[in-house]
Amino acid sequence: MGMDNPGGIPYFILEFGDELVYFSPYTVSLFILALVFTLFAVIAKPERQVDIVFGGDAFYAKETSLAELKFRRFMAIACGFASMGAMVTGDIFNFTLFISLVGICNVGIVAAVKNRHVQNAAYQYGIVALSATVPLFGAAALIAATTGTLSMVELWSNAALAVPLVVKALLVLGVMGEGMAPFYAAKAEMFRAPGAPYVIMCSLSSLLIFLRVIEVVLVI
Amino acid sequence: MWQEYSIGLLLVFIAAAMAFFALVIEKDDLHRLLLLDLVEVPSLAIIALLGTDLAEALILPGLVVGIAELLALSQIYVTKEGLRERKVQGLNIEVIQADAPLIISVLLICYGVILSGFTGGGVAGLGVVFYFMARGHREHFELLEMASGISWAIWIFAFFVFMFIPEYWLLALFMAAIGILLKVIVKMSLVGTMWGDGNG
Repeated sequence: MGMDNPGGIPYFILEFGDELVYFSPYTVSLFILALVFTLFAVIAKPERQVDIVFGGDAFYAKETSLAELKFRRFMAIACGFASMGAMVTGDIFNFTLFISLVGICNVGIVAAVKNRHVQNAAYQYGIVALSATVPLFGAAALIAATTGTLSMVELWSNAALAVPLVVKALLVLGVMGEGMAPFYAAKAEMFRAPGAPYVIMCSLSSLLIFLRVIEVVLVI
Repeated sequence: MWQEYSIGLLLVFIAAAMAFFALVIEKDDLHRLLLLDLVEVPSLAIIALLGTDLAEALILPGLVVGIAELLALSQIYVTKEGLRERKVQGLNIEVIQADAPLIISVLLICYGVILSGFTGGGVAGLGVVFYFMARGHREHFELLEMASGISWAIWIFAFFVFMFIPEYWLLALFMAAIGILLKVIVKMSLVGTMWGDGNG
């Protein structure tokens, strides 16, 4: 290893030919976090949101129908798997694919809610996520073009392979568009969707990919 | 070669900038959805500029992700706008109602079978889609899905033959080519029959 990896020395590197998965202290802890929250999404029951009528004793209880619950739980679990993949993959292109998968799943988690405002927010967010694939895949392709490899291990162990700053910026921009927290929280309507454990998966996955992309940018 | 790559990259970035600019000034949601397709093309073009086998392997997942997002978004758009489902009973155009779709479809399918493989599947599938779209449909979806599943299994099996008994590579090659041909045809014809159907 020529250079230090800020995420710690990998415990082991699982190689499938050119594609690889590596477990360093940093990626393992993020992976475990994603795994735990996916398990929560599997076992948790949805919250029953209650709106209090102002100035009185009345309230509305919002029910989540079984079909909606099943779909959203499936999407939350898929989102968990995509985050887990994004946490440990050591291949730049696989990383971008997992990130865009997280983006689709985030849209899917809220899109099942039959509320016009929520759907509108999900739609607008989907447009951002889809247009973010340009910098995202663009960065991966440019990394392959400038260095000739997509393997993160190769990129950090060989000091001669330097990724230009612009390309790193493109990668971060793409990840931001796909589901990073600041952009995401701006879509407050999405969080108005009832069903607590699933919406938390959106925020958690955006936090996780935010933490991972920092490592990726420092490493390559 | 680097010279050509730089020029290509510049062109792609100009195209992407134009598409993004259009996206910014467009206010209608449906038009934005259509413009997103324009945005998708540069992202695939950047990958394609690599011009290696690797690029070919990377474009396919990129394309799949893009199409998946586009389908999800259009579904959300339909629900969001509360659009009613309409029964589509074939296109009401004189040429379409005559024998033209049949002839064109047969030509496309024959050409697709000759091409074979993924491209052939795409071409032949297009023929089937066109026929279903022109004629309306009363098909057994389960049968089509089963055919798709079996041909996929053939394709995967062929890959195992490549890996474990490479001396039968010619047989494996034919199996893989036919498997993917059938699978893509069936998948595309399912897409063609899906519209207007409530459970699609």
